[in-house]
Amino acid sequence: MSKLLSRIRFRDAGTLIGLIIISTVFASLSPTFLTAPNLLNVLQHSSINACIALGMTLVIISGGIDLSVGPVAALTAVLGAAMLVAGVPIPLAMLGALAVGAACGFVNGALITWGGLQPFIVTLGGLSLYRALALIYTGGTPIFGLPDSFRALTNGTLLSVPNPVVIVAVLALLAWVILNKTPLGEYFLAVGGNPEAARIAGVPVTLTKMAAYIISGILASVAAMILVGRLGAAEPTMGTLWELDAIAASAIGGASLMGGRGSIVGTLIGCIILGALRNGLTLMNVQAFYQLLATGIIIIVAMLIDRATSGKQGG
Amino acid sequence: MTPRLALTNVDKAFGNTKVLHGVTLTVQPGEVHGLLGENGAGKSTLLNILSGVVSANAGQIEIDGLPVTISSPRDATNAGIAMIHQELQQVPELTVAQNIFLGNALRKGIFVDRRRQEAEAKRLLAPLDASIDVTAPIRTLRVAQRQIVEIAKALRANAKIIAMDEPTSSLTPAEFDKLVTLIGRLSAHDVSIIYVSHKMDEVFRVCKTATILRDGRLIAQVPIPATPVAQVIELMVGRELAHATHHSFATDKVLLKVAGLSRGKAVLDAGFELHAGEVLGIAGLVGSGRTELMRLIAGVDHADSGTVEIGGKPVPNSPRARIKAGLGLVPEERKRDGIIRHRPVASNVGLPSMAAFTRWGLIRKRQLKARTEALMQEVRLRPLEVSRPIGSFSGGNQQKAIIGRWLASETDVFLFDEPTRGIDVGAKAEIYELIEKLARNGKAVIVVSSELPEVIRVSDRVLVMREGRIAADLGRAEITEANIARHAIPSS
Repeated sequence: MSKLLSRIRFRDAGTLIGLIIISTVFASLSPTFLTAPNLLNVLQHSSINACIALGMTLVIISGGIDLSVGPVAALTAVLGAAMLVAGVPIPLAMLGALAVGAACGFVNGALITWGGLQPFIVTLGGLSLYRALALIYTGGTPIFGLPDSFRALTNGTLLSVPNPVVIVAVLALLAWVILNKTPLGEYFLAVGGNPEAARIAGVPVTLTKMAAYIISGILASVAAMILVGRLGAAEPTMGTLWELDAIAASAIGGASLMGGRGSIVGTLIGCIILGALRNGLTLMNVQAFYQLLATGIIIIVAMLIDRATSGKQGG
Repeated sequence: MTPRLALTNVDKAFGNTKVLHGVTLTVQPGEVHGLLGENGAGKSTLLNILSGVVSANAGQIEIDGLPVTISSPRDATNAGIAMIHQELQQVPELTVAQNIFLGNALRKGIFVDRRRQEAEAKRLLAPLDASIDVTAPIRTLRVAQRQIVEIAKALRANAKIIAMDEPTSSLTPAEFDKLVTLIGRLSAHDVSIIYVSHKMDEVFRVCKTATILRDGRLIAQVPIPATPVAQVIELMVGRELAHATHHSFATDKVLLKVAGLSRGKAVLDAGFELHAGEVLGIAGLVGSGRTELMRLIAGVDHADSGTVEIGGKPVPNSPRARIKAGLGLVPEERKRDGIIRHRPVASNVGLPSMAAFTRWGLIRKRQLKARTEALMQEVRLRPLEVSRPIGSFSGGNQQKAIIGRWLASETDVFLFDEPTRGIDVGAKAEIYELIEKLARNGKAVIVVSSELPEVIRVSDRVLVMREGRIAADLGRAEITEANIARHAIPSS
């Protein structure tokens, strides 16, 4: 196991070095970057993307892609908020929201496994479909008037760490355990690595893929709840382009879009890299257009480094 | 008479493996010439040399008495040689006319002159099969018609020699009759045909002469039908065997019972019983349905009809259910169907039996590793590093790991499909030992193999498959190469 661990750690260490380099650059350019409040700020801003990216990583590892996460978040946000506004108890409303996310994931998974359609196409369809449902349901207007007790859940802190960061950290730990310690994780890696060989070896391929999309849907709804709590409103247009940030973070963290490879730790660091980049550039008053440029460059450079080093490792 | 085609002393090696040793092939004008031999005898290589796909290391090629150099498919076309492959090399979405003129379009200026191509295609096809619509996409045609289109293409290139590789593998008897007529007509127009087939009845119907290859050497050129079928088969197969001692551990206890198993035309009504301690060989030509039968038994493909009972109970049709019932398949295509390349050996070994290594939902990785290490020591994995990705091991060692997968779970029935393909001699012997050990421990084993010596060495009993059916069930005493070949090769 030591060699395997060292191999995985090798890739994660690479992502970490990337983060350290970026942080060092910003620390030297801006005195506020490396302060505790700002670092917590970076984590808090990264937490939504991290929540989405955890599910995305599992989906990508199992050989798929989930482009529908943003609209799934929007749909669960408006339905969850509507329940809260209508006076449904908070735990029940949250369960309801998670169920909506799970249902969207189930639909994606069903179309991909039983329907035999391409994940890209199915979730591209979902991208429009779930967004449309959210817009139709709300008529395009945000839902306000959420109970303060709900907002307190996401705006509070635990030992001065913002609650969203704590929640996502717990979810990340769960995702890490699933991927690395359970048969389901082994199945994700096997199905993504070689679906036919996995099937012949007795892996329940359909259930495995289904699980990945359902987890992704649930995590999208968690992200939605966090954002709704922070904003105090549920917008049907929430979550635009979330899928791309999540895919970028997964890829930076070492997930292979061909399936079969990826890392939860890597994905988390990938999220923080993207968050730190935006934060640092904002601190330096760099225009948003250039922030986008920098994000694009980081993604491509990360992939080039990945390519060069994994070649040395013998693929 | 100057021969139409004369290949002399052709040598060919791939790496260190010599596949053709000074082979000579002489074909007369207008002659239908059979090219016969077992799988791996060198027929395909010879055809590939002729059609410019590979180059010979030594030897000469003469056409109508003039030496020619063939170093590319284009050279072959220019020399008047055309190949009709078993898998027709056509573009399904293009029309008949477009396929005929593929790579050699008729032009009007810089544009393709479709109308002239279609008229020309119609003219070429008229004497062959006038019912073919030259504007129809190739995919809408039956295989027999597509073959005729290939022949038309050959004629359009003024081919003097047409080589047909197993042309009847997907034809009905009626379509074969048509092909025979067509071949007769081509022959009357002085086109020479090289006819490759395993089917003796066909060879005896269409050929005048046959060249027989075995292990890359020319064995004989014989007149057909003057030479008896039995003698032709003997010339194809007759090889001395290195005898290894064989131990039988077979009992009466039925572990696997297959009845009436069918799928399309690949497997037809297959039924047999397999006993504890028994090693059952399955022989047959490529395409006779051996691999398909294994996949049906393992639940990988869906059977149209039939049942599979393991340990006396019928088992539903899915790999997972069959594995749970105690069955393990070591597939033929190791890379495609066997290994998860990037995953460590331990993960690959533990994959079907994760539940056994799991407690409270978590995999007991230390236990999995220890068990895998013990098993891999038993099958002699080299290097013995079970945390390394399986893709970084040699083929033979990957195979040992995949076999180890079934040793790790409660497997009673082992299906080995071509277990030693692409594996060096040392590892081969180790796999044979392992098979014997399994039998000694009361497991039931099926070994599918194209290599007759292998089948003969390991099997207590041999089923011979022919055209999807089990053609013979041979007891230990009856297992000989000649006997197997006699049942494997379709003849009338």
